[in-house]
Order: sequence, then C-alpha cells, then structure tokens
Amino acid sequence: MTANILDGIVFGLQLGLLATGLTLVYGLGGVLNLAYGQIAVIAALVVSFSLDAGMPLLVAILIGLLAGGLVGLIMDQTILRPVYRLHEEPRVLLSLLLTLGLSFVIEGFLIWRFPLGALSLRVGSGPIEILGVPMRAGSIVASVITLLTFASLYVFFRYTAVGLAVRSIIEDEEGARLVSIEPKKMMRLILFLSGVLAGLVAVTRSMVAPVDTHAGLSITVFALIVTVVGGLGSVSGAFFAGIILGVINIVAADYIGSYVSLIMLLVAAALTILIRPAGLLGVPE
Amino acid sequence: MSDQRTPETTAESASWVSDARGKRPFSTFILQITAVILLLALVPLWLGGSRVMMGVAVLGLAFICYTIGFNIIFGSTGQLFLCVGALAGVGGYGAAILADNFGLPMLVSIVLATLASTLIGGLLSYVAVRRSLGVIFTGIVTLIFTLSFDALLLGLGEWTGGDNGRLITTGRDTFLRDQIPPYYVMLTLVFLFLLIHGLLQRSHFGWAFRALRDNEGAAELAGIDVARYRVYAALIGSAMLGLAGAVYVFTEGRMSPTTFGFGQVDVVVMVMLAFGSIGNLFGPILGAVTFTVVDEILIEAGQLREVAYGLLIILLFLRLPDGLIPILDAWRQRFSNRNKAT
Repeated sequence: MTANILDGIVFGLQLGLLATGLTLVYGLGGVLNLAYGQIAVIAALVVSFSLDAGMPLLVAILIGLLAGGLVGLIMDQTILRPVYRLHEEPRVLLSLLLTLGLSFVIEGFLIWRFPLGALSLRVGSGPIEILGVPMRAGSIVASVITLLTFASLYVFFRYTAVGLAVRSIIEDEEGARLVSIEPKKMMRLILFLSGVLAGLVAVTRSMVAPVDTHAGLSITVFALIVTVVGGLGSVSGAFFAGIILGVINIVAADYIGSYVSLIMLLVAAALTILIRPAGLLGVPE
Repeated sequence: MSDQRTPETTAESASWVSDARGKRPFSTFILQITAVILLLALVPLWLGGSRVMMGVAVLGLAFICYTIGFNIIFGSTGQLFLCVGALAGVGGYGAAILADNFGLPMLVSIVLATLASTLIGGLLSYVAVRRSLGVIFTGIVTLIFTLSFDALLLGLGEWTGGDNGRLITTGRDTFLRDQIPPYYVMLTLVFLFLLIHGLLQRSHFGWAFRALRDNEGAAELAGIDVARYRVYAALIGSAMLGLAGAVYVFTEGRMSPTTFGFGQVDVVVMVMLAFGSIGNLFGPILGAVTFTVVDEILIEAGQLREVAYGLLIILLFLRLPDGLIPILDAWRQRFSNRNKAT
C-alpha cells in the first residue's frame, strides 16, 4: 500500500506539473492548448537526438526545454494570433480547434519522420529505500526535479514582479491593463514557460518510463483532466489535483485492474466538474 | 454534388441568423431532399463494380448520418458533444453484442442499442444543462465520456474483441453483406435523417433552436424553455448517431475501436460540418461527400494524411467565412449582450 501511494505521488507530481503548463495558458489567455502533449513529445525527441549527437546530458536537456519553449513562442506568433481577437467562449473554442489541428500536424509529421523515436533516461543505479519501500532512483530524481520546479514557480508567482503581473492578469485583465501591464507580453512569456514545462515533464517522465512519438494525445488528455479537476488557472489546484489523481490512478490500477482505474479517474474528473465547475481550488465566477 | 446547393440554399446559409428559413414552401424542401437523395442513389452505377469503393461509399453515407446528428446537437443548440464516435459506438457495439452474444433478433438489438445511445446522449445533455455548463465544459465532460467508452472497449475484451475488434456473425448471409444493397440501406437512413432535420427546422423546434442560438437570454425571456429544447436536440441527435452506428456495423460485418474512435469519427465529423457550413440542412452532405473523396485521394499519403487533416482543420476554422465564424460571432454577441445585462 505504501509503495502504491509513493508511486502514485511520483506519478501525481508529474501530472501536476503537466497540468500547470496548461492551466497557466488557459488562466492567462483563455487558450486551451490541445497540442500541449505534442510539445512535450518534440522536447523529448530533441533531447534524445542531442544525446545521440554526443552532447552531455544536462546540455541535451537544456536544448530540449528550449525547443519546447520555442514551439510555444511560435504558436503565440502564428496560429494563436487570430484567437486573441476573439473573447470569452469563442476564444476558447477557436483555440481548442486550431490547436487540435496543430496537434495532428505535429503528430503526423513526427510519426512519419521518426516512427521509432523515443526518450528513455537512465538515472542512478540501485533502488533507494524510502519509508521502507525500495524506490527506483529515476522516480526519486524525477520527483525532486518536479518539486524544485514547483518551489521555483511558487517563488516566481509570489515574489517577482513579472509573476505578480501574470497573476494580476489572471485575476482581472482590465485592471492589469490599467496599471500598464501588457497582457500580450505576459502571454508570450507564459506560452514559452508552458512549453518549457511540457519539455520538463517529458524529461522527468522518461526517467520512469519511455516517452515515445505516440505519447502526445495521452499526455494532453491527462493534463486536461488534471487541469479541470484542479481548477482552470490555478497552479496550486493543479499541484494537489495531480497528486490526488495520481494516487487514485496507481492504487486503483493495483487493486482493480488498469481499465477500471482509468474509468474511475475519468468519473472522478467528471464528478468534480459537475459538483464544482470551478475545480478544487479555482475561484467560482 | 455541390451543384445541389442551389443559390437559394447558399443565400440562406449566409443569412442563417435571420429567420428567412422556414418560409420556404414545403414542396421545395421535399424536392431538394429528393433531388439530393436521387443524385446519391446514382453513385453505385459509377462505383458499383468495386467492392472497396462501395465500402468507402457506405462509410461516407454513415458519416453523413453522424454529421446530421452532430449538426442537430451542436449546430442547432450549441452543445459541443465531443462524443459523436462514442454515441455511435454505443449503438454499433451494443447492437452487435446484443445480437451475437445474447441472440436477440437484429432489429430488436438495433432498436435497443439506439435507445441506449439516445438515453446516454440525453443524460449528458440534461446534466450539462442542469449544471449550466458552458460550451467548453460540455466539451470536456463529453470528451471524458469518450475516453471512458474507449477504456471500456479495451477492458471488456471478451465482448468487444479489445484492440483488434471483432467480426459480427449476425446478418452474415443476408443482403446486408452484399456489394450494393448496404448502400441503399444507409441512403434510406440519410433520407430519413434529412427529412427529420428539415421537419424539425420548420416546426416549433426550429424556431426555438434559432432563437436560443441567436440570443439565449432573449429566447428565455420570450418564454422558450431553453433547457428543454437543448435536451430534445441531444435526444434526437444521439438517437440518429446510435441508429447509424448500429446499422453501419451490420453492413460492415466487423468493428474495432477505430471504427468509432475520436480521431476517426469526431474530428472528421467536425471538419465535415465546418466545411459544409454549420446549421445548414445540406451542409453535412456537402462536407461528407467532399471529405470522403479527399480522404480517398490522400490514402496513399499514409502518416502525412494526418498532417493534411490538421492543416485542413486549421485552414477551415481560420479561413472559411461560412463555417464556424458566424457561430462564433453570434456567441460573442450573445456574451456581450449578457455582460451588458449583468
């Protein structure tokens, strides 16, 4: 049981970080990015190619994260431009449809060009014991990286001027504009950050299980569910929802088998939406 | 096929917000449907020699059915149902399992399976309406239903055949597996669905649908029970999806998760509808026929076909003025009106 819960937390932390990238973009700009999983896959492939080219691990990871961020920036400058002209629900709907199209373009291209591409990082050697449970070194390194990232996000959004500006836009875009915060600039920054986070999740995930070319859709779906349960636009919501759903998923998978556990996860998400549409920690409108 | 979009229908789709529709004489409307169906009925003369091409044609007709169902749900009342494939799959898998594993007669199993998808669609809509979920949340809840359905298909492998799908024995030695008759069976469905959709548009349903889409608040104030009409639309549309899915699997003789997959059905239906102009009676036919042809041409391209789909989706929603944009504009107006009101 303890082992399951620990595994669930490892998985849940990654879910949380995954959802953070999606939820920030939605909270800030009302854009639902369905090509999110494909960005993670691009980052994973770039890391894998950089390693093949003989670069040191850290440099390869850095290049991968930058590639993820770059895709976010390109999206901001291209297909999201017409999206910004709309508002409220039409904006979300158009962003959803356009990024869905983009996800097909990216995935089709990647599978055509690199059908066997995958990233699998081996970290450390033997298992490390935690609470009497032997854990894989990869899981622990992945979780530490994820926790550190959450900590830096917390500091960023709590204490830096830019982070506070982003939060002020999520709270009240008009008000932020009045104190001369430029939503467009912040959106560019957050799309870059979101791409970097997607890349980071791909990297940490690959320390536990391989991330291959076909993983995009399931990454997006998991991110979407955790985002919705945690509350759209809430980073702390994404963090807690990630851990809760991760633990539910792993524990249920062990006791009742994996397809029922997936359905339970989905039902939990649907119930959250129905009972509390704003999500666990979202602010009801 | 696009010849069938007479200037009259084109003008109508351009001014779909106005209430010009419904004033057309009933005979013109029947004539238009008949003409479209007759044209489609000629297809076997051209492709009838090839078993493969007839299979493609039957699938095309099934997609027309799906798109009409989705058009009634999304086009008429703005409920983003991202579970078109799953609802059709409830019909398809349900009917096949009832007939094969429980030995029910084919017609009974089709009726029961259609009933099941009708109830599920109605329930999804009822829940969404009661909790007043917006377009996006309705989309996410129905997407979750799609994912659960997929997980069930894989999990209940002994009945569904899991990932590989299964063959259907019921109806094996009947005309349903011949080369040409299935086409006319599906065409009959298309005719029925078009007729029902057309009649709906001219009834009080049509007035309510147009009113609630143009301005939900005003419709509510005018005494239209918006919630009720939304659920009605979902019930009718889901019944069409389930029925089309059930009939289709019996003509096909096999099914797999991809027969009703999200990428294979929902995305395609959305593109077809956007291409043929949402809310328009004949839009689904124009979209489905064009798309089926394009798809056949692209089949050589393999994985690049997915790239082409993606580009098509992006271009359609960005550039096609008659596609989604009028709806988006109408919603924007609706929202600004609502914001002014509050």
